[in-house]
Amino acid sequence: MDFGPVLDGFGVVLEPTNLLYCLIGVVIGMLIGVMPGLGPAATIAILLPVTFGIEPVTAIIMLAGIFYGAQYGGTITSVLLRLPGEASSVVTVFDGHALARQGRAGTALGIAAVGSFIGGTVSIIALTLVAPLVAGFALDFGPPEYTALALLGILLVATVSSGGRLKAVIAACIGLLLATVGRDGFTGAERFTFDNLSLADGLDFVPIAMGLFGLGEILYNLEERHGAVQAPTKVANVWPSRADLRESAGAIGRGSLLGFVLGILPGGGATLSSLAAYALEKRRAKHPERFGRGAVEGVAAPETANNAAATSSFIPLLTLGIPANATMAVIFGALLIQGVSPGPQLVSQEPELFWGVVNSMYIGNILLLIMSIPLVGLFVRILRVRATILAPITVLITLVGVYTVNNSVFDIVLVIFFGVLGYLMKKFGFEPGPLVLAFVLGSLLENSLRRSLLIFDGDPIGFFTRPISGTLLAVFLLVALLPPLRAALRRRPAAPRPDPAPQDTKELV
Amino acid sequence: MTINRVRRWAAAGAGFGLALSLAACGGNVGGGSSDDAKFPGKAPITILVGQDPGGSTDLIARALAKQVSHDLGVPVTVENKPGANGALAAKELAGEKADGHTLMVYNGSLAYITPLAVAKGQAPDIADYDIVTGISQDDYVLVTSPKSGFKTVDDLARAGRQITFGTTGVGTGSQLSQALLFAQAGIKAKDVPFDGGSPTLTAVLGGQVDVGSIQLGEAIEQIKAGKLTPIVTFAEKRPSYLPDTPTAVETGRDVPVQQSRAIFAPKGTPKEVVDALRAAFQKAFQADEYKKFNEDNQLTPNEVDGEELRKQWTSNLDKYRGVIEKYQISLGGAK
Repeated sequence: MDFGPVLDGFGVVLEPTNLLYCLIGVVIGMLIGVMPGLGPAATIAILLPVTFGIEPVTAIIMLAGIFYGAQYGGTITSVLLRLPGEASSVVTVFDGHALARQGRAGTALGIAAVGSFIGGTVSIIALTLVAPLVAGFALDFGPPEYTALALLGILLVATVSSGGRLKAVIAACIGLLLATVGRDGFTGAERFTFDNLSLADGLDFVPIAMGLFGLGEILYNLEERHGAVQAPTKVANVWPSRADLRESAGAIGRGSLLGFVLGILPGGGATLSSLAAYALEKRRAKHPERFGRGAVEGVAAPETANNAAATSSFIPLLTLGIPANATMAVIFGALLIQGVSPGPQLVSQEPELFWGVVNSMYIGNILLLIMSIPLVGLFVRILRVRATILAPITVLITLVGVYTVNNSVFDIVLVIFFGVLGYLMKKFGFEPGPLVLAFVLGSLLENSLRRSLLIFDGDPIGFFTRPISGTLLAVFLLVALLPPLRAALRRRPAAPRPDPAPQDTKELV
Repeated sequence: MTINRVRRWAAAGAGFGLALSLAACGGNVGGGSSDDAKFPGKAPITILVGQDPGGSTDLIARALAKQVSHDLGVPVTVENKPGANGALAAKELAGEKADGHTLMVYNGSLAYITPLAVAKGQAPDIADYDIVTGISQDDYVLVTSPKSGFKTVDDLARAGRQITFGTTGVGTGSQLSQALLFAQAGIKAKDVPFDGGSPTLTAVLGGQVDVGSIQLGEAIEQIKAGKLTPIVTFAEKRPSYLPDTPTAVETGRDVPVQQSRAIFAPKGTPKEVVDALRAAFQKAFQADEYKKFNEDNQLTPNEVDGEELRKQWTSNLDKYRGVIEKYQISLGGAK
């Protein structure tokens, strides 16, 4: 492996502008992580317009920082207030808050920070090694492979996401439909444009993401009454003791690995891996009854795993151009806006961007470690800001932001439309994630499918005779057919295993 | 390396653009009294590009914007509005104020090939625009991956199967050049449209399609590196950069297809504004940096005035309409 580009990437990160944006990103991430409500997908969507003015690498460094920064921040409120700031920190509540009640809040936070740092770093190193391997296949990815990949991506996200499968599939179908709006690139035919020039080039990704994730989520949160929280003023002794570290070393190691693997899978991501890591530790433990009463591993494992997953979910995006979850879909959109199309060629064509972003995560994780240990008290104070103040400000930023992208009033109308749609979807149990993802992948799917069929002269068997697309489609069929099969089998031997996941898991991804 | 440089430019441009649009907003509030002032006044100039950043049209726009901005003393930014081979950007240009502050790098293919491929009224008519100046011409080259084993047009004819050819889009010179060649050579072939030069190049490199017609400047690096085999060029005479590759005309086929580019303005732009712009672009063409840019990208200057360019492109449209009728080629066929 040639390490030249990797080292050049560090050069890119260490440019003062990029360092600054990395810091801004992780601070924002930390803040929204602390605040229940706005998740990283919503925040990144709202901030999309800001990224227009800056270089692509700088923009993505900042947006990535928000994503993994939120994983750190979410821990703080879980531990101190029994109030998970992020969905991926929900399981941390059990042991984290128990520890806090025993007066060991500092230990919990310290272990979480250390675990997050290790999990994140392990994932970056693995990312560094894996990405060039995938890129080696870059030229073998033709239209049929992209067709299979897009299909698989949409299916996985629709099936793995929380909430009903049927509802997720419906949302994904709406996303695919929305992607067909605009002039068809193969024949020049106008589709669903209603002679409106603003629709001729299709719907823009930015207003859709900002509406569904940003505005929709703000509206939805307004319904939930959470008044200002009285934050605890002091957290003593944040540095974890050597005994604590020894006790949680295994959990951190397993959490890193588990998080890395689950993060790569489309539809996986931080939330799923934190749940899985917690369950794994509990099952392995000699005294599982300790869990829920302040076991240090119960904090270390999920916090390590969610950070490892947050980092590794960049792999499918940056190497294949397939976003693995909703947040990645928004970052995908940000890249497209910058004129960068992520895919297998990215590593060789844009090494500065690729390695700049990857290496910025080392720096970001160090910054987060520094911030989360001594500055915990500071971030907790953000909770004193009332939702009644925060919500209107966020709405204003969203609307002004989307206008500045194209100076188009039509885009504001779109944001409001999709904001209301996003609110209604959440209210009726539909996740907006699959919709946005299917929208992003829709045109890739359609164009690749049509190109493939031209190449195959209309014969779809061609998809199965090529090694990569054949394999991907086999996986697709497996994922599509497995759950109904398993359900059919399960009907006979009953007795469902009790799930350790709490009932109120809110998907914020 | 080039791509990175461009990217940084693009980003700087975008950042600049953002700052400018904010500044422009402030200006508008103060009242639009700049009409009286001599062109260009203080307002910035926007050059629309109907293709993605990083492609050859985009590079040309950025190279010129830099020089012209220097000469006119106002910021000149490039704005990419990709879609429908530039028709979307052209439509937008037609709706802009004819004050010389919004221009477009207009591709010849949109003027003389797209109308042959899409339904009547879908392609913009060059009569609806004022032309500031011609810019340069670019030749197409038919390339294949060395692994395909094809070296000449006759090899393709002997393949004994349907050839797939990648085009840079429907209604482009890339499509017309290959359609004409294969029709005349009696080769059964099917076109697969991609979104521009770079994806087409990748598809040919990866063997996804058998051959592709790409602008010389976009293919030359890979040809020199031996990763692409040039089969024929569609130039009128052998380009100096590829002395050993025959032209399609030499192989006995009547296929001179070139990409050409010009600066367009909305119709009704005052003559003195057009003249001022033309003078600024003439100066830009003379800059050493720009001349080197042309050489590096295998572009042949075609810096004629608006009227001459209109004649060139109109005659191309007639000529191409004639040949596609003669060989019964359907360009909008990729359904």
